[in-house]
Amino acid sequence: MPKLNQQKFALVDCNNFYASCERVFDPKLEREPIVVLSNNDGCVIARSNEAKSLGIKMGVPYYQVKDLIIDKSVVVKSSNYPLYGDMSSRVMKVISQYSPVQEVYSIDESFLDLSGLMVNLNTHMQALKNQVKSWTGIPVCVGMGSTKVLAKLANRIAKIYPRFNGVFDIDTLPNDRFNKLLESVEVGDIWGVGHKSAQKLQQVGIHSAYDFYQADIGIIETLLGVNGKRVYRELYGHACLSLEEIAPARKQIVSSRSFGADLSDFDEINQALTSLTRKAVNKLNQQSLAATSLSVFIYTNPFKKGVECINLSKTMGMSTPISDENLLIPLCAKLLKQIYEPGYGFYKGGVMLGNLTPDKNQQDLFTISQKSVQFADQPYGNLLRYASELGNDRWLPRAEFQSNRFTTHWSELLTV
Amino acid sequence: MNTITQNHGGARTGAGRKKNSGKFKEDTKVMRVPVSLVEQVKSTLDVYKSQLKSNVEVFEFDANAPSLSIPIFSSRVQAGFPSPADDHLEDRLDLNKHLIHHQEATFFVRAQGESMLNAGIHPGDILVVDKSLPAKSSKIVIAVVDGEFTVKRLHKYKGKITLKAENPEFDDIEICEGNELIIWGVVTSVIHQYA
Repeated sequence: MPKLNQQKFALVDCNNFYASCERVFDPKLEREPIVVLSNNDGCVIARSNEAKSLGIKMGVPYYQVKDLIIDKSVVVKSSNYPLYGDMSSRVMKVISQYSPVQEVYSIDESFLDLSGLMVNLNTHMQALKNQVKSWTGIPVCVGMGSTKVLAKLANRIAKIYPRFNGVFDIDTLPNDRFNKLLESVEVGDIWGVGHKSAQKLQQVGIHSAYDFYQADIGIIETLLGVNGKRVYRELYGHACLSLEEIAPARKQIVSSRSFGADLSDFDEINQALTSLTRKAVNKLNQQSLAATSLSVFIYTNPFKKGVECINLSKTMGMSTPISDENLLIPLCAKLLKQIYEPGYGFYKGGVMLGNLTPDKNQQDLFTISQKSVQFADQPYGNLLRYASELGNDRWLPRAEFQSNRFTTHWSELLTV
Repeated sequence: MNTITQNHGGARTGAGRKKNSGKFKEDTKVMRVPVSLVEQVKSTLDVYKSQLKSNVEVFEFDANAPSLSIPIFSSRVQAGFPSPADDHLEDRLDLNKHLIHHQEATFFVRAQGESMLNAGIHPGDILVVDKSLPAKSSKIVIAVVDGEFTVKRLHKYKGKITLKAENPEFDDIEICEGNELIIWGVVTSVIHQYA
C-alpha cells in the first residue's frame, strides 16, 4: 500500500463527457443510451453508460453497429466540438478554484496538486464535484492518490462504485484491498503503460497491475525503459511525474479533415484547404506563433479495395517565419497546384504549419501587412471568407446528427 | 632514456569532430549577444538550422507582397502639459460584468411562446440564465418537467411546487407525484431587442 504522505494528487474526470454535454441541453436523453460519432460520422468515439452496457465498443465503425443502434433506439450524435470545447473550458475553470496548481490533461480530465492544503480533502473534492455539476451540468468523478498514477487508478474506483459518491482516495485502502484492486486491473490499463508496453509485459507473464507491482524493478526497466520505471515507482507512492501546468509549446499545427465526399475537382479541394489553412492560422495567431514551413497533403481512400492509394504532399520552407494568412493561403494554393493530379477522388486533405517560432512580427518599419480579413471580420462574427473558400461545400464533413452549438452561436441557442 | 615520445600528452592530430560537421556545416564563431536579443537570434538560427536539415524548398519573400504603408508620425506628440484626466481614467462600463456574475455557470437561452409576457419575457428574447444560483421561491427559472424545458416563475408553498405562468391566458403547472422536476437554472435578466 502506498505510504501516506504530504504529497497528494487528484484526477478529476468528467463522466462520459461528450454524452453528458448532449444531456445538459437535452435532458430527455438522461438514462437513454447515447453514442457520439467521430468527425465525418465515421466511428463511435464516445458512449453513455447505457450504450456501453449494450456492448457498443469504443472506436467501432458506425455502419457495423447501425442495426443494433436502430434496434435498441440508441441516440446518435455527430461530434459537436464547439459545444464540447466550451463546456470543457467552463468545467476546467470551476475545477481550478480548488487548487493553486492545475494541469488540464485532456478535454475532460484535469490533475490537481492538493499537497499541503489545510482542508479535509474528501469534503473539498465533494464540493468540487457538486459545484461542477451545479454550475455546468456535467457530472465528474475524483480520484486521489499520492502520485498521478495512483490518482488515475483511484478515479476508476470512484467511477465504478457508487458508494464512494464519486470521490475516492486510494491511499486510504489497506494493503490487502490495494493488492486485490491491482489484481482486477489489466496492466495495459495502468496510466502510462501503452499498448506496445502491455504486449511486452504480457510476453513475460505480467498480465495484471498486480503482476506489474510485484515484478522486479530491473525487469520493468529493461522492458520499458526509464518511463516504465517511473510508472512502477509511482505505483509505490513515489511521485516521479509532476504536474505540467503550462501546456508544452506546439511544434507544429496540423489541420486536416476527411472530406464529406471524394473530391477530384481542383477548386473543390482548394476550397477545403483554404478553410483548413485559415483554421490552422487562427490557432497559430492565438498562440502568437509563426511558421517557417508549410506542408500541404491530399490522399485517396486507403481502404478502398482494388484501388491504389494516391498520397500527394509537398513542403515549403520560408526564409522568414510568417504568421499572416494573407501570405499563407496563397502559398497553400500554390503548393496544391503543384501536387494536384486530376482524375483521382481525394478523400482526405490538410495542411501542416511546421517549425513554429514565437511570432516576433519582424517586419520592417514601413510595411505592415494587412491582416485585413481577420480584423475586418470581427464585427461580422466570422462571416467574411476568402474567395477561394467559396464553393459547393461538398468537402464539409458529414455531421448528420449534430446538435446545436448552444453556447457559441447566437442562432443556435437553446429555446425554451 | 632521454628521448620523449610524442605519443603521450598534447593534441593528437586527427582527433575530435571533423571540421564543418556541426549543425551549421561551416565554421562558427563565439560572440557576445545582448540578453534582450537572445530569443531573436535563437529563432533566426532555428529557422536557418531547420532549413539546412530538411531539404525543403526555401521560399523567399515576394517583395510585392500585399502591404500597407502608414506614415510613422501622423500627428505631433505634445511634449507639454499632461491631460488632467489621466489620473481619473476608469474602465468603461461593461455589460458582461453587469449582467453575468458567474461566467462559467451562465448560459444564454432564447425564449419562445408568450406564457411569461407579464414578466417582460417576449418571444425571441434572450434570457441570461445562471445555473449556479439556488432555486428560491418567486424566482423565474428554466425548469425541466418530465424532460421538457419551460420558463416559469417558481412557487414553493407548504411543500407544494407550482410553476406559474405570467400571462392569464396560460395555465400554471402543478408538480404532482410522478412528475420529474429539475431546475436547470435561474433567469437573471432578459435581453429584449427592438426590431
